[in-house]
Amino acid sequence: MRQPPHSRRDVLKYGLLTGAALAGLSGCSAVPRRPDPGTPPVRGGVYSHGATGGGLKDTLEPYFPVTNPDISRVMQLYEPLLRWDATYEIEPSVAESVTPNTDNTQWTVRIREGVEFHHGKTVTAEDIMFSLATVTDPNNTGSGGTELATVLELNNSKIVDPRTIVLQLNSPYAVLDQLLAEYTVGIIPTDFDISHPVGTGPFAYRHFVPGQLSQFVRHENYWDGPAWVDELFIYDFADDAAKVNALLAGQVQSIDNLPNYLAGTIEQQGASPLVSETGAWVPFTMRVDVAPFSDVRVRQALRLIVDRQQMIDQALNGFGVLGNDLYAPFDPAYASDLPQRMQDIDQARSLLRQAGQENLDVELVTSSAVGAGAVESANLFVEQARKAGVTVRLNKADANVFYGDRYLSWNFAQDFWNTRNYIPQVATSSVKGATYNETHFEDPTFTALIDQAKREPDPARRNQLLHDAQVIEYETGGFIIWGFKRQLDAYSNLVQGLEPHRYLPCSNFRFSRASFVRQP
Amino acid sequence: MTDLVTPSAATDTTASAPAPPAKAGWPWLKWFARRIGLAALTLWLCSVLVFFATAALGDPVRAILGKDYGSSPERAAALAAELHLDRPVIARYFEWLGGLLTGDLGNSVANGLPVGELVGDRIVNSAVLVIVAAIVMIPVAFGIAMVSANNRGKRADGVIQIVMITLAGLPEFVVGILLVALFSTTVLHVLPAVTIAGGGAPPWFVPASMVLPVLTLVIAVAPYVARIVRSSLLEVLDSDYVELARLKGVPERIVMRKHALLNAIVPGIQVIALQLAWLAGGIVIVEYLFSYPGIGASLVDSVRNSDFPMVQVLAMVIAAVYVGVNLLADVLSILFTPRARTAISS
Repeated sequence: MRQPPHSRRDVLKYGLLTGAALAGLSGCSAVPRRPDPGTPPVRGGVYSHGATGGGLKDTLEPYFPVTNPDISRVMQLYEPLLRWDATYEIEPSVAESVTPNTDNTQWTVRIREGVEFHHGKTVTAEDIMFSLATVTDPNNTGSGGTELATVLELNNSKIVDPRTIVLQLNSPYAVLDQLLAEYTVGIIPTDFDISHPVGTGPFAYRHFVPGQLSQFVRHENYWDGPAWVDELFIYDFADDAAKVNALLAGQVQSIDNLPNYLAGTIEQQGASPLVSETGAWVPFTMRVDVAPFSDVRVRQALRLIVDRQQMIDQALNGFGVLGNDLYAPFDPAYASDLPQRMQDIDQARSLLRQAGQENLDVELVTSSAVGAGAVESANLFVEQARKAGVTVRLNKADANVFYGDRYLSWNFAQDFWNTRNYIPQVATSSVKGATYNETHFEDPTFTALIDQAKREPDPARRNQLLHDAQVIEYETGGFIIWGFKRQLDAYSNLVQGLEPHRYLPCSNFRFSRASFVRQP
Repeated sequence: MTDLVTPSAATDTTASAPAPPAKAGWPWLKWFARRIGLAALTLWLCSVLVFFATAALGDPVRAILGKDYGSSPERAAALAAELHLDRPVIARYFEWLGGLLTGDLGNSVANGLPVGELVGDRIVNSAVLVIVAAIVMIPVAFGIAMVSANNRGKRADGVIQIVMITLAGLPEFVVGILLVALFSTTVLHVLPAVTIAGGGAPPWFVPASMVLPVLTLVIAVAPYVARIVRSSLLEVLDSDYVELARLKGVPERIVMRKHALLNAIVPGIQVIALQLAWLAGGIVIVEYLFSYPGIGASLVDSVRNSDFPMVQVLAMVIAAVYVGVNLLADVLSILFTPRARTAISS
């Protein structure tokens, strides 16, 4: 009965024309069922996505997406040389291959044949060099390639032929491909102009209003198969209720970051939740260089106090996976063989007694600015610690205070991290000199293992080195990692093609794979 | 009923006023000039408050950069220079005020674009929302008041009073959510739930998308106006001269229209002005709930981003609406109150 809404106007028209007919009927009768996965996709239509957050800071800049809607836009316009697939494994994108030499100091990039920018130009080695130079430019204050800039030596890198480049590194780096697969390292043409942003992505730029919306059209010559829909709108939503209402009213076909508690209700109203595993974590951070946390027994005791399952159930509404004080769960080197740490109040008490801290009294700094699950888990920790005789005083700081002068020097606080693999994560959070080393962790053996692993070309040997490094963190680190968040998004039952993805929300924002379905 | 506030109605009453209009000109002008002067003074005081309150909030650079403050001192320095933070606060105030008066509103800190460009469309959008809501609300409120007053003490009046009190007690977001559930998502699917339908065009290009926000605002303010107007109507209906008119055989319909309503307009204008001024600042929630591209959402956004130039301009816009609407209400009240007109003229 219900025709596929080929545009927002059609949806409206439909709504208005049949309004009278619908009046008096319960809305439930009009609610579309979730489509059969085998339904063939329909070409055409205008797809609208509701993105969470955003505001006047919004930008289309490829190397400095600030807000969540920015990331969703960057994913339409630009593409990196490599990309993460749904299981968080690297796959080729603009490049058909990126391969290291034997000691990981030179990486050869082979560009896929016939990849076209939106304005029709074919991607060449010059464009790649230009893009890498732009993203690693130290004067580019919002650079998304900070880490890349520390290893890449562009002056000594060479263009071999229009489709081949040899990238020179200043030191061996075994996982350069992981840095090149980040969405912040998109490829742009040498004639790039931000007022008419051009990339190789599945959709081309049409219109943009910061804080409100952006409009895109299908890139017909997209190398990975043109999108099913003709046009794409991405709307900013400051308010969760407005976002969900827009989905249920059929004004948008998908939304990212559905509030957890709504997962059940939307299913009765013609929409489906989309749940993805992620490697995102909200750790408690203990400074390993100041008392009382400088005593490893205190750190272990606090890790044993945490009831991890309760935190997942209550702070994340059940949308989480158990953590084991380790990060980077999708890294092939993830030390999943280490015993799962569970709540053990007796053991915690005993460790505290040994450390002479029976009546431990600590301040925990939290803030709603840390994101979903932070304040909730901090509150739970206060309760759980009480069982072990530990007094935790909660300091709920304002965003400006939390991320103010004392950020990264709080003795006991929280922070948030998104999915990353082990080596890049360590470089930003867990070695001396890392920008965000909240725990002030600094272990010579650990650093040596990481350095060795970066040079190690053999994956098996590299993974062993990284495993040994994780054992050190597991035993002496300053993080309490109680779980990994599950990503929850939602889509209308009138569309299909979105699937769980471990990298970015809403099927990695790959709306080129989404299509409308004809209802029987 | 709308003709009550149109110029023709106003001139009617002026013509029947005892003081000859020719003589009234000079004192009127003086009165008007004084009111304008007072309004300007109020706005100036607002500008002082807005500027120094935002200046007292602490280091804006730190607030703006957040997590990045420590890691990029050169950005912090650049931002401080851009905001002229090296100059004394008094000098900055006069610089800002000068800019405000000459239309140079400065640049947004969040994205570097001129504030005027960023807020221009949004101010228009919000103004349209408030004006449409007022155009719908005023006759509705007066109509409800008349029905209610006509049926004083009867069941209809009682029901109306209970409904009005209930609606007045409901927060706008509750009203808004209920309306959305009723018309857009749960029961019926006849109206857009949010105002994004135009794909970047102003919301009123898709009138259907304006219905729910307008309705929410009308429900939020109409009960207050209706209740005030009703009690003024009743007061007039109980007065001696209305009693006299009735005794003279003037039909009740005419009594209501010619006597009661005209006398209830002044208190009506005052409460409408209060409610409209409140709307100017209070549409934040409604704009949020319906994703309406107005100043409310950008005010919240600017505060969250610590975008001081934006916050200051938007606060001044809202202050100006307050002052402007109250000024207008005073002028209209005088026009509709013969005694007050006489007092000014003599």
